[in-house]
Amino acid sequence: MQIKPILAAMRHHKAGTVLIALQIALTLAIVCNALFIIQQRIERMARPSGVDETNLFVIRSDWADKSDPQRIDAQMRADLIALRQLGSVQDAAPINSFPLLGSGWDNFIKLQPDQVKMTTDSAIFFSDEHALATLGTRLIAGRNFTASEAGAQQPRDAMHAAQVIISKDLAHRLYPDGSALGKTIYVTMGRTPSTVIGITDTLQAHMTGSWAGPYAYNAVLVPAQLLNDYTYYLVRARPGQLDAAMRDAPKALFAQSRMRIIDHKDGVMTFAQVRQRAYGPDRGMAILMAIISAVLLAITAAGIVGLTSFWVGQRRKQIGVRRALGATRRDILNYFLTENLLIGIGGVMVGAVLAIGINVWMVSQFEMARLSLAYVAAGVVALLVLGQGAVLAPALRASHVSPVEATRSV
Amino acid sequence: MLKMTHLSKVYRTEVVETYALRDFNIDVKEGEFVAVTGPSGSGKTTFLTIAGLLETFSGGEYHLDGIEVSNLNDNARSKIRNEKIGFIFQAFNLIPDLNVFDNIEVPLRYRGMKAAERKQRIMESLERVGLASRAKHYPAELSGGQQQRVAIARALAGSPRLLLADEPTGNLDTQMARSVLELLEDIHREGATIVMVTHDPELAARAQRNVHIIDGQVVELSEDPRFHPAQVAAGEVRG
Repeated sequence: MQIKPILAAMRHHKAGTVLIALQIALTLAIVCNALFIIQQRIERMARPSGVDETNLFVIRSDWADKSDPQRIDAQMRADLIALRQLGSVQDAAPINSFPLLGSGWDNFIKLQPDQVKMTTDSAIFFSDEHALATLGTRLIAGRNFTASEAGAQQPRDAMHAAQVIISKDLAHRLYPDGSALGKTIYVTMGRTPSTVIGITDTLQAHMTGSWAGPYAYNAVLVPAQLLNDYTYYLVRARPGQLDAAMRDAPKALFAQSRMRIIDHKDGVMTFAQVRQRAYGPDRGMAILMAIISAVLLAITAAGIVGLTSFWVGQRRKQIGVRRALGATRRDILNYFLTENLLIGIGGVMVGAVLAIGINVWMVSQFEMARLSLAYVAAGVVALLVLGQGAVLAPALRASHVSPVEATRSV
Repeated sequence: MLKMTHLSKVYRTEVVETYALRDFNIDVKEGEFVAVTGPSGSGKTTFLTIAGLLETFSGGEYHLDGIEVSNLNDNARSKIRNEKIGFIFQAFNLIPDLNVFDNIEVPLRYRGMKAAERKQRIMESLERVGLASRAKHYPAELSGGQQQRVAIARALAGSPRLLLADEPTGNLDTQMARSVLELLEDIHREGATIVMVTHDPELAARAQRNVHIIDGQVVELSEDPRFHPAQVAAGEVRG
């Protein structure tokens, strides 16, 4: 290794050296954070919803006549009977919102009626005794609602739910010792206490944004169909009959009443489409970050290739002299690889500090997790390998400069 | 030490073949100081580059220090250049980014020499050329004569078997040229084999033996139509 003379020579090419080192530093800082964001988004997109996504689809029915809640209630009950009677349908349930929808109701949950600060936040799903079977979510403790417990309420009514079923994550959040079943909880918008009669396995909330991270699996099932301007019907098809059920269900609803609107574009959606739509922003962000990273890496590689090619051209005579003095082709190759490695090391040292600095700033400004040092380490290795790869072609060209160049006049 | 037999060097293009050296024969004994002269384009530099293993040749044989070099690969040629040959170039060819010490160190590093030995050899060779106090200076901070002395120190530091000098005083004024030449003569007196290419008859006259090249072949000086005894005596001829 000829580190000392290479460092000595680099002092005479400060501008180019510093520029490339800074480019490497900035690229490392941005790419580390970008890859971290990508990984977080991918992790988020891969989270389980806890429902039978393969066989589940959703119908949104907007009522043409919204004036009479009682008629809406009756229509919903008739619709559900029609849906459940379809041969391709396993079960169906009304619901105001559902996992991954993105919009819906969430409310503070308290353990005492006079509690000022919430214990946690949770999605509130209004449905009936068919909800669990339709979602494909298993009860891990307690019991399901009975038909007699399932009522109806308007959106502006105060919630009266004597019984609720909650997700296991919410149960654990409220009672970390595992004793939530049979306990009383208070949903802020409710005036009466609610007893936990059942606990479900994993059930994701409707919200997917990063702010909702801590509450992503908090869900309360309330036994009441919400008499709103519209409703969602969750329909679980029999295995292998999703397409048939998706064809049959709207027909069955229109056969019940044509006083409704089911959007031809997204009025009926498979759960795969729901998932696709829910994580669109995350996917977009991941793709954007990947593009930014790829462009930055390409620019940095091109910068290294360009500068090294320029240096090789500029130092042809010097390379010839070195060859004349006994340097082998490998010596010349190693010279440029080592030179690049030294610049790269300088760059990644600054870049690592920058990467952590940017992350600390983002953590303070946005809903961001702390950057794992593994990303910085991986980024350092990647940038150094990229540098060595980029410098290889011009370095190989340099190694083929003939020693006779030493005798040529410039 | 250096023996070329029927050596030829041909530069080929699609349409023409140009012989830079043709049936070239030379035999330089160990300890000799030989000046190779000839007009511009005669093949002097080509001879030097082949002698110094900077270039390959097209035909014939070349023995350097007893080794037939025509079949050596690039690494072996580099090793011989590094260990057996010292180069002194007309343009000095010091590396401008490195100081005097580091410049002289370049060939020693390629030899894989230990740092302590490198330092000792560098300081000895700098003292030999009278520039020990300039070790930390950069080439741009030295005069032309001093730069050439550094180049000679660099050539000497590796204790080469053969010194090849290409117009070593070509870029120097008269006084500096004289001092560099005296240095070369001192080095020769200490036993070094020196082959010096020059077109300066005055310089060539200081060597033990002159070899004259015309059109890529070694000839007797009298065969050069430009040279006539009267002109040579009057010092009128310049290559």
